[in-house]
Amino acid sequence: MDAMTENTIRQEQVGSFGQMVAGFSHDMKNHLGIIRESNGLMSDVIAMGGLSDDEASVERFKKSIDAIERRVAHVAKMLHHLSGFAHRPDTPYSSFQINDLIAEVIMLFERFSRLKQIDLALELEEGLPSVYNDPSLLQHVLYRVYILCLEQLNAGHNLGIITGQDEKIVVVTFRLSNTSQTSLNTLFDENLQAAVKKLEGTLETGEAIHDHADVKLVIPSLSAEK
Amino acid sequence: MKDTKLLIIDDEVEFAATLRQRLELRGIDATDVHSGGEGLQTLAEIGPDIVILDLKMPDMAGLDVLAEIKKHNPAIEVIMLTGHGSTASGIEAMEKGAFDYVMKPVDLNILLEKIYSADEKRSKE
Repeated sequence: MDAMTENTIRQEQVGSFGQMVAGFSHDMKNHLGIIRESNGLMSDVIAMGGLSDDEASVERFKKSIDAIERRVAHVAKMLHHLSGFAHRPDTPYSSFQINDLIAEVIMLFERFSRLKQIDLALELEEGLPSVYNDPSLLQHVLYRVYILCLEQLNAGHNLGIITGQDEKIVVVTFRLSNTSQTSLNTLFDENLQAAVKKLEGTLETGEAIHDHADVKLVIPSLSAEK
Repeated sequence: MKDTKLLIIDDEVEFAATLRQRLELRGIDATDVHSGGEGLQTLAEIGPDIVILDLKMPDMAGLDVLAEIKKHNPAIEVIMLTGHGSTASGIEAMEKGAFDYVMKPVDLNILLEKIYSADEKRSKE
């Protein structure tokens, strides 16, 4: 791969991570906003009327406490995945489970499908062989394919992310509802294809089935290593 | 603020509902809805004087909702809620007719100041 392509891929990778983290920070602000308002509501009730056991006050407290607990649990989960995501570039090449990698980035992805009102569904096959590759570059490729797929879809459509294996390869399928296969043929630009090649993988559109179309990202598994 | 009606448009249901309750506890007549489309529908029904509007929502961009609100009634004062890290999006909204903006997560005291200022401006006009 020539230096210019290598550099462009690197720039796009940084851009992808920036967009993912920006989406993540928006989500965090929303969760913190709810925690702050719920806490504020309890403070208001105490400050304005004192602690009373009337049904309305008790109900407000219960709802606020429940909202805080749920949001804190969700934020903790997000931060756990963010931490994993942030440490991926520490080891340029490592062996990992593709499902773990997807679980990390999906937390950063899901905001984009939510904003487009697209239902995102995961089907992660258990027991997949490990992959030995560049996890950070793979996350960039997953993000780029995901965004390109979202651009093909409209509100109310579905996007499935499905993992599976076929002998010595691991396959990540992006399944787009209400989409024809022909509309996907020009989806991938040269830089994305070059990034996939760097992963020693392939990116292809599958056979059209009924009302959905597939994009398949194929990555060699650890068992394929020479 | 006695006769002032306030409408909150934010897709985060829990946030909008809790903010509405906190404003009500301060004697403000507030209603919350959870999409841009619902917000626009509600305009004619409740005739708000001030709208608290989220900049990013799934069904409509906040700036598009702002434009529709101003088309419906230019006298409605709109305070935008923005989760962006910079002030650029808030300033852009003000250039497009918003009264002011507040960064998320919202500090209620700051929001209240903006609400009272918007109400004062509205009552002078």
